[in-house]
Amino acid sequence: MTNPKFLVIGGGPSGLSAAQDIAEAGGDAILVEKETFLGGTPKKLHYSLLAPDMKPVEEVLDPLISSVENSSVRRLLGASVKSVEKKGGRFNVTIESNGTSVSESVDAVIVATGFSHWDPHKKYEYAYGVYPDVIDFKDFEKMLSDEKIVRPSNGQQPKRIAWLLCVGSRDKQVGKFYCCRLGCAVSIKQAMEVRRIHPEIDTYVYYMDIRTYGFWEDKLYWKSMEEYGVKYIRGRIGSINKGEDGRLIAMAEDTILQRPSEVPFDMVILATGMEASEGTLEASKLLGLEIEEHGFIKPLESDSMPVSTAVPGVYVCGTATGPKAIPDSITEGSAAAMKALNYVRRRTIKVPAGA
Amino acid sequence: MPIHEKSLIDGVIEKEKAVVDGVDVSGRWNTFIKERLLTDYHEDFVQEVKSLQGGKTVTNCWQCGTCTSGCCLHTDYGLREFNPRYFIYLAQTGNVEELKKYENVIWRCISCNKCVERCPKGVKVEEVVHAIDEVMRKRGIAEDTPGSRWDRTYLDNIMATGVLDELGLTLKYVRSEKPADFTRGFMARMAFKIIKNGNVRTGPIRRRTKGWKKMKKVADSILEADGYGSTK
Repeated sequence: MTNPKFLVIGGGPSGLSAAQDIAEAGGDAILVEKETFLGGTPKKLHYSLLAPDMKPVEEVLDPLISSVENSSVRRLLGASVKSVEKKGGRFNVTIESNGTSVSESVDAVIVATGFSHWDPHKKYEYAYGVYPDVIDFKDFEKMLSDEKIVRPSNGQQPKRIAWLLCVGSRDKQVGKFYCCRLGCAVSIKQAMEVRRIHPEIDTYVYYMDIRTYGFWEDKLYWKSMEEYGVKYIRGRIGSINKGEDGRLIAMAEDTILQRPSEVPFDMVILATGMEASEGTLEASKLLGLEIEEHGFIKPLESDSMPVSTAVPGVYVCGTATGPKAIPDSITEGSAAAMKALNYVRRRTIKVPAGA
Repeated sequence: MPIHEKSLIDGVIEKEKAVVDGVDVSGRWNTFIKERLLTDYHEDFVQEVKSLQGGKTVTNCWQCGTCTSGCCLHTDYGLREFNPRYFIYLAQTGNVEELKKYENVIWRCISCNKCVERCPKGVKVEEVVHAIDEVMRKRGIAEDTPGSRWDRTYLDNIMATGVLDELGLTLKYVRSEKPADFTRGFMARMAFKIIKNGNVRTGPIRRRTKGWKKMKKVADSILEADGYGSTK
């Protein structure tokens, strides 16, 4: 009997976790990654510290990456899956890698194609792309990891920064009805990082409600107010204008005061939501997976079978099924690996009915 | 449009003669509403409150309103303007102009400490409200109030010998404040009762703490470090 073969699409936290677990269980895993490096979006966009333990992203992901690199996992970087053909319970896939085409026959497929940040250009009233000092939180994450907090317009250190939560989340106008789950936590973490490096910068978070669920409540939300003095203003900014002195004017309602406010800021950071990445949509088309109402891949049962899909032998993990934090993605990667291994085991070994 | 129900609106301005952009609008069009737009937040106020011993927990508040909904003054006594949650928000955002409207309300806290017991975020509401009041008076935003004058008289009294002289305190306070309920007859009856039972000693025979001179120096330095000024 030949060793079972698995295809893992996507080399982010969940894909790495799935590939690692398959290799550890003795399976042959092929890891296909579109970029030329492993680590997924957190690495691609140079995330800084990760909430809530304030650990650098390298500290969390590098052990996972090196464990995959030192295992039997066959890694195809700069590669993408071009076609999938189901035949006799197996998947014949064509992978294009650095201009060459590779054909493989695998027993099961794990989709770990992830998410992308919502494009804030679509929310014209926030003038993203018009005023250089309006940036989105992935741009700011890069600034933090470079340890260079400056206004893009003039290169000077800002005196006051605002975060606006729920840009491209919980918004019927842009067709995003769901919560991105991470915007609050990441914005608060960024504000804490700013205050830790530069206590002289005033930080304000414009919110509707703060959704730092679970242990993030005291580790992030409470800590930010009590130890770092981050201010919270309840109200969603309606539009961002430019003042005479070149500063940005955030037009909002201070709903606690019940008064309109037009407060100047040096920078406004938009906490953009999550949406299914292009890779996720491509994978769903190739494998015939259903898309649910929010645009992500639909699991077989979102409550009891979150990593299974309607197609036998195809499993899905991480942010391909919806917004998720890195630890959750890593857990789901392991779960998908386990399900895929069991699927192959059931097909190759005769298991008595009911087992 | 002329403004009706002027009594319901905060900040109505009525002018005898009004000229807008060179056009005389006196008469029917002479009424204006004060601008409500909030144009800035100020960080320095909350920093000053936080620097006081009582104001350390001011930034813990997340505006749930547990304190206000159980407040004796707000609910039982019915002083609806007394809203500790709101005072804390105004202090956090440094809204001095709005705080000023409550200068004659904030000091009325009777320190029942229900709010401190109930606060889910560990805000020492009672202390914070007093610290806000303190900063307002320090900055000259609020004038001295009966409450602050009582605190000062009390502190001076106890700092004299280290032991409170109740009779001396009451007499001094009543003489300067002249509260309506404290009539001569009432005071005399009260003084007679407490002197008779011998528990209260005043004037030259008032109680003293042994070695108070040395201890006073320490107490003074603590008060000064906490921002309450000297009692010398």
